[in-house]
Amino acid sequence: MYAKLIFKNAKCSVKDYLIYIVTMTICVTLFYSFLSISSRYYQPDIGSEYDFTLLSDGMKIAICLITLCLLFLIRFVNNYMLRHRQKEFALQAIMGMEQKTIAGLFFAETFIMGMISIVLGIFLGAFCSQFITAMLLTSYGKDYALTWMLFPDTAMLTVGFFTLSFLVVGVFNTRTIWKTQIIDMLSADRENDPELKKSCWIAVASVLFEIFIVWASVAGISKAVFYYDSRFALPVKIMFWGNIFVPAATLLWSLWRLIAKRKAVFYTSLPVLLGFSVLNAFMAASVPLFTNKYYLSWGTGTINQYMMFILIDLLFFICALVYLTGNFIIAWKEKSPEHRYNGENLFFFGQIISKLNTTSKTMTLICITLVLAIFLFIAAPILTGWASGYLDVRSMYDVQVFSRYNNVYEEKYLPNDDYGIITDFLTGHRIETAYDCTFHLYLPEKADFGNRVKYDFPVAAVSLSDYNTIREMLGYGPVSLLENEFTTHWKSIATEEEKDSFLAEHTSIITDAGELALAGHSYYEETIGETAYNSYTDVIYIFPDSVCEKLLPVMQNRYIITAETISYPYALELEEHFTAEYPEQTDNGVSFGIRLSTLQINSTKAGNFVLQASMLYGAIVLMVICLTVLSLQQLLDAGQYKYRFSVLRKLGVEEQHIAKLILKQLGVWFGLPVIVAIVVAAVIIVYFIHAISTEISAYIGLGTLILQIGATVGILAILLVCYFISTWILFKSSIRNTN
Amino acid sequence: MDGILKLEHIQKYYGNEGNITKAIKDISFSVQAGEFLSIMGASGSGKTTLLNCISTIDSVSAGHIYLEGTDVTEIKPKSLARFRRENLGFIFQDFNLLDTLTVSENVALALAINKTPANNVEPRIMDIAKRLNISNILDKYPYQVSGGQKQRCACARAIINNPKLLLADEPTGALDSHSSQMLLSTIQSINEQLNATILMVTHDAFAASYANRILFLQDGEIFTELHKGNDSRNSFFNKILNVLTMIGGGQSHVC
Repeated sequence: MYAKLIFKNAKCSVKDYLIYIVTMTICVTLFYSFLSISSRYYQPDIGSEYDFTLLSDGMKIAICLITLCLLFLIRFVNNYMLRHRQKEFALQAIMGMEQKTIAGLFFAETFIMGMISIVLGIFLGAFCSQFITAMLLTSYGKDYALTWMLFPDTAMLTVGFFTLSFLVVGVFNTRTIWKTQIIDMLSADRENDPELKKSCWIAVASVLFEIFIVWASVAGISKAVFYYDSRFALPVKIMFWGNIFVPAATLLWSLWRLIAKRKAVFYTSLPVLLGFSVLNAFMAASVPLFTNKYYLSWGTGTINQYMMFILIDLLFFICALVYLTGNFIIAWKEKSPEHRYNGENLFFFGQIISKLNTTSKTMTLICITLVLAIFLFIAAPILTGWASGYLDVRSMYDVQVFSRYNNVYEEKYLPNDDYGIITDFLTGHRIETAYDCTFHLYLPEKADFGNRVKYDFPVAAVSLSDYNTIREMLGYGPVSLLENEFTTHWKSIATEEEKDSFLAEHTSIITDAGELALAGHSYYEETIGETAYNSYTDVIYIFPDSVCEKLLPVMQNRYIITAETISYPYALELEEHFTAEYPEQTDNGVSFGIRLSTLQINSTKAGNFVLQASMLYGAIVLMVICLTVLSLQQLLDAGQYKYRFSVLRKLGVEEQHIAKLILKQLGVWFGLPVIVAIVVAAVIIVYFIHAISTEISAYIGLGTLILQIGATVGILAILLVCYFISTWILFKSSIRNTN
Repeated sequence: MDGILKLEHIQKYYGNEGNITKAIKDISFSVQAGEFLSIMGASGSGKTTLLNCISTIDSVSAGHIYLEGTDVTEIKPKSLARFRRENLGFIFQDFNLLDTLTVSENVALALAINKTPANNVEPRIMDIAKRLNISNILDKYPYQVSGGQKQRCACARAIINNPKLLLADEPTGALDSHSSQMLLSTIQSINEQLNATILMVTHDAFAASYANRILFLQDGEIFTELHKGNDSRNSFFNKILNVLTMIGGGQSHVC
């Protein structure tokens, strides 16, 4: 009998369960499709030079961590279903069914629905995992073909994970049903909005913010004590003083309010605190920016500290803004009777204000989560673009050996070796070389050998013939120089201004072999790899061979391009072999290094992919959570709304007006958090892009970046529109007049 | 003399061909301007259906309803909402106030929906609040005031637009006897001082005794009609009880 009831209930309330099934299916789909690439059975054709295990382990951990967020969503949707059905439970209880049985029935129903969504989700996931495979193969530079395959281990893991979460949530639900009084269940539907009493979470947030402000001012003072120098440029001075005075002003102002006006001090001072949080964020944001621009000497610790300050300021800004939105609307309503008494506006204001006042905490959390989601969405392609762009620069040669003299203090210890061990290894493994170049880097003046201060490192020089060999290896045309001329070669990260000012200052240079003049073609900037420069410099000189013979060679490098790619195991072996002979730190101070493109590409690509996939997965999961919660918040109160809109109908409001009101209400409900999130996220992203603008233009390119951001915004917009439209349709049907 | 409201042979059927329920069989009557008419009847006698038909919430199966010469059964569905808000005022058993708005805003909403200029709204609310004795609760929310006050607020909302006809559906149904009495006096004074035409549906003989005239419905037809004339309310009340006994429900229908 009960089994029949369960199935009948499930069948009848398919519409009610729609949201439940859709949300669960999305969760399962995301989980399965992202996890499928870590399957044992997943063997995409990425070539023998790649090792796939690197990737799957990282992936599994990342996905399982992010999925913990989904548990929250499952619990939330279950709560919604529970509230939706409470009246029915009350009726069953009054008829004499034991609450234990009712709980059991509800559990069985949701469990059946959950199982249906798991099946649906796995099938959809198998489809969606194609996109992930496409993403994977593109990042490994391969073509892809669609394949249909169900991975038993991933499927088992998915079923296991979700069944377990359904069971856990089910136990919670059962407990809730057990504990609820019948009378409360009966009146659940008719419950008014809780009284318009504001909760005190914002007060707690403000107190925490004040504590943070104390910390910020102390940090500002201590930075000034340790690092301030009157020779700094004006913006830097402003930054120093601003980081002391703005937090101090915030603090003093709050104290003054507290002493001067004891009553109602808090709510009136919140807008001012909001303003202060923006100022504070600006001041904190100037620290990392000026550190780059003016080469301030504090470490990454300070930058990280100020990054955290910006984050805290922004968090408080969002809290205060969302909290105050209700007040802004009330103030606007009070001030303008024309708007207030215009048509159904009064009703609209009432709806929005009552909802905002009772859910400001949820709204704030949604805003913050959305900011995070948008940031992840946009930062994922930037970071991976950066990493893979950088990879191209780093792995230009199949084998790249380099040395550094940073810790060598006697000339006799300087490296002078042709690294024959590599030649032996390559011939031993029958790997043919296409190009091979062993060369020295020289110091223009021997006297500079002792310069070891970070910003005083001398620019190194390379001989013209070696430089031309490297250019030939990379497919660039040769360069020529006259007898007493020199030219320069720049890293792609160097800016135009840097180049211009350097070249203007160095039209001629003194070397141990006499004075050299800058050639007509004063600089080259094709990418030649990161190891061809001296430490902390972005440029090398190119001198005629005859000059170089008289200079002091300080470093020796060897670049090899092989006829075919070195396979992964060989590359590993060569690396071990070389490092054993030439360690990173030798007794006489020389440090050696080897970079093998196979290994670099492997680890970077795997790392990149895990980073990109988990950021995107995280972003989609957070986005789905936010939108589902937003949409359910509205549908949850459909009972009340039905009553309120029916009063409007009775008062003689036309259906078109009601439809417009609904659209307006949902527009504000979805629009507010999305707009706040977009504005805050935009500020963060602009700042982020600004902070790494050099890297972006060097390794990604502005066009690609805009394209990536555009695609991201597109996905966000599609998700938002889908949720908005489905909520709108469900909302309309739930308040439809059934008379 | 033609009344402000005139019903001609109203019929209302529910159900499909094989299984028809006649909620209203054949009802005709008219209401004069300024009259306070009450409609009484047992459950299922068709009184709420009749009220729904007059208020254009439900449509009739046959017959015509004229409000000041306009046939409301002929109004297009699109214009119905406008017709309702311009001509009718409603008082419901369960108040139908919006809990998101204060008492004064609930009243103001009716004005705003009717496109009253903004600067006119507040003076009119003050005026009506004074008449209905709700001035001191204007800034409170419905959940902060008593049932009687809620219903007076609903009254204020119903009459603020000076409707041609005020329809009240069991207005005392959710009130205790003291609040009922106060509300009925209020309705009566609205009728007398503002000269409002009121049509009240009730099954409570005491409430009905405030009206000038009472129509008794039974099984979808008018059973009889009672005029107050110059009777005192007490004797009118006794007459009502007699009619109710006659209808057959005996004393059990009284309250």
